[in-house]
Amino acid sequence: MTASQTLKRLVAPLVDPAVYDFWAQKVHPTLSWDRCLARVVERHVEARDTVSLTLKPNGLFTGFQPGQHLNVTVEVNGVRLTRSYSPSDSLHKDGRIRLTIKAIAQGKVSQHLVHSCQIGDVVELGSAYGDMTLPEEPHAWLFVAAGSGITPIMSLLNTLTQKPLQQPASLIYWARTRADLCFSEALHKMTENDPLLKVHTVLTREPNRLENELDGHPRESLFRNLVPDLERRRIYACGPHGFVQSVESLLADKAALFQAEAFSPSPVVTTAGAPVNLFLSKSNISVQIPSGVPLLEALEAEGLKPAYGCRMGICNTCSCQKQLGTTTDTRNGNTFSEPGAVRLCINSANSDLTLEL
Amino acid sequence: MTSSMTSVLKNSGKTNRPNDTQLAAFGAELDALRERTLTDLGERDARYIRRIYAAVRYTEVIGRGLLFFGLFPPAWIVGTLLLGISKILDNMELGHNVIHGQYDWMNDPHLSGKTFEWDIVGTADHWRKTHNYSHHTYTNIKGMDEDIGYGVLRLFPEQRWRPFFIGQPIYALIFALLFQWGVAIQDLRFGQYFKGKKTGKEMLEEMKPFLKKSRRQLIKDYVIFPLIAGPFFLPVFLGNLAANGIRNLWTYMIIFCGHFTADVELFPKSVLRNESRGQWYYRQIRGSSNLTGSKLLHIMSGNLSHQIEHHLFPDIPAHRYEEMSREVRAICQRYGVHYNRGPLIKQFSQVIWRILRYSLPSKYVPIKASA
Repeated sequence: MTASQTLKRLVAPLVDPAVYDFWAQKVHPTLSWDRCLARVVERHVEARDTVSLTLKPNGLFTGFQPGQHLNVTVEVNGVRLTRSYSPSDSLHKDGRIRLTIKAIAQGKVSQHLVHSCQIGDVVELGSAYGDMTLPEEPHAWLFVAAGSGITPIMSLLNTLTQKPLQQPASLIYWARTRADLCFSEALHKMTENDPLLKVHTVLTREPNRLENELDGHPRESLFRNLVPDLERRRIYACGPHGFVQSVESLLADKAALFQAEAFSPSPVVTTAGAPVNLFLSKSNISVQIPSGVPLLEALEAEGLKPAYGCRMGICNTCSCQKQLGTTTDTRNGNTFSEPGAVRLCINSANSDLTLEL
Repeated sequence: MTSSMTSVLKNSGKTNRPNDTQLAAFGAELDALRERTLTDLGERDARYIRRIYAAVRYTEVIGRGLLFFGLFPPAWIVGTLLLGISKILDNMELGHNVIHGQYDWMNDPHLSGKTFEWDIVGTADHWRKTHNYSHHTYTNIKGMDEDIGYGVLRLFPEQRWRPFFIGQPIYALIFALLFQWGVAIQDLRFGQYFKGKKTGKEMLEEMKPFLKKSRRQLIKDYVIFPLIAGPFFLPVFLGNLAANGIRNLWTYMIIFCGHFTADVELFPKSVLRNESRGQWYYRQIRGSSNLTGSKLLHIMSGNLSHQIEHHLFPDIPAHRYEEMSREVRAICQRYGVHYNRGPLIKQFSQVIWRILRYSLPSKYVPIKASA
């Protein structure tokens, strides 16, 4: 423990983090007692609807492994919203990180980050997570990416190619059209510098394909042609849910190792009455409850006793953090998919839920 | 005719309780207003509450800073006033409203209703129970809303007179000066201990959070800051004492004007049986009264000057009450529901009148089920 950490622990009982942050941020916008804040220092357009933001986090950032993801929290129209994004580069020596973000139609956070975010803006970062990281020893690799699934893979490739490759590595990269391809320039340079690296692009909706560009969806013949030694490769795949599933069914049992990550699909919304799984994260309890029934009633029917007061949405006593899932406000029928505070007495489950209870 | 009779007759004369069908429509109109406002929440509300937060911080620092020069009387006076203002803003427009969960939609951990803590001796947890739950759910229901006289005062003819109440003008004054303490111990129910229903050990256990919080507050205001001032210990000490006193008197005045003016009604427990949304709204309006005045009054009262709107919509950011109040008034007018409002001086005179009048015996008026 460093001297400053010791000091911080000693004075902690006297400090209100909110007050500390208020005054510290008059000095520098990312200073904070206990939150990892990062300033946007560079913005670069990578492809259509896709930008890379370079962030300079404060001292509370605990770093990441190439291939991992970070929860990024931004404030959009007064509301703090959190989404996961992947750094597309290894951690820079000066502590900066580069995130690459593709704007999704209707995506509040991605639209904000791609179109409205300015240099100087401050975002909050969570700690890194994800298992698609690089082992110490060299391996033969096959990376399979679709759309913005390229970002964690780009971080892995950037790290791998910092030294000359000892074994072959290939990337097969799916995008809709050429304008949607990210990092074309950087990938081209990498292949020029290292003959063991091969990059293939597959475009599914490009009307004018070039000679070296492939088309069509994932299929075994394509993989066999491009990577004849499939059996000795370790495969990392990343992309939308359906894509990753089809790649998995084609390759999982044909390679030395197969690991994949998919963008999590939005929670399945069920019809009223259908059972959903409710996980209470603090007490580590899982129960099945009917959807469409106020959560307080549903929990009580399971023999649980969450705190409550008025039972009509007035007093906020039963409010707790929803970490995951979709709920409906029983008074007006509005649905909420964002994590945030929910009052158990006037909200019902619409999907599987995780509550901080 | 006794004056208590006059007041009851006046009450029933001012408002005709709409019938249940009308109350259902009345409730639906208020629900719609609520939905419209919720949809509109955003950037503007986030910016507003952060500006209030900034105002609390700046007035506190400048106020405390000036008190260090408190041997110079103008610095002491301005410093004390600013610190008092800081505490008032912190307790009312910031703390009270944030603790209601009015800003939970922002998802900002520093503005979360479940965890916010404020610059007052009472714990926020205790407040969440006595105020957010008991008072807001059972507003003006005799025997359930403990804010009716706070167990010390007789303010309505529906409360039975006892000789104890003769001294109530004095109790009311002491209660006003020590208001933060009165509110802080409201839920500890010392009465049960004195009646032998609770052991000393149980009492002490229940008091722990309160003791911890009040010790922190006392050390901050009466030890740490005076000590920092060194030779000027005394002016800082007295300034902090006066600032807390100013906050106590002001919050007392605002809160008493919210429910104890001449025309507010009490309700029997029986209203709770199958109370509809419209009936609940009606009770909130008839149990509350507003203050008319400037923007400054509204901010300094934490918008409890719009007590009626606050009771209708306790989870909507309070700075929205001003604009909502115009619509609420129009809706009340359409349904012939009396909307009780007046300038501070008038409303507070009525409160003082109640304190004085009901310290003396009056005919006990059994509570009538009007809603």
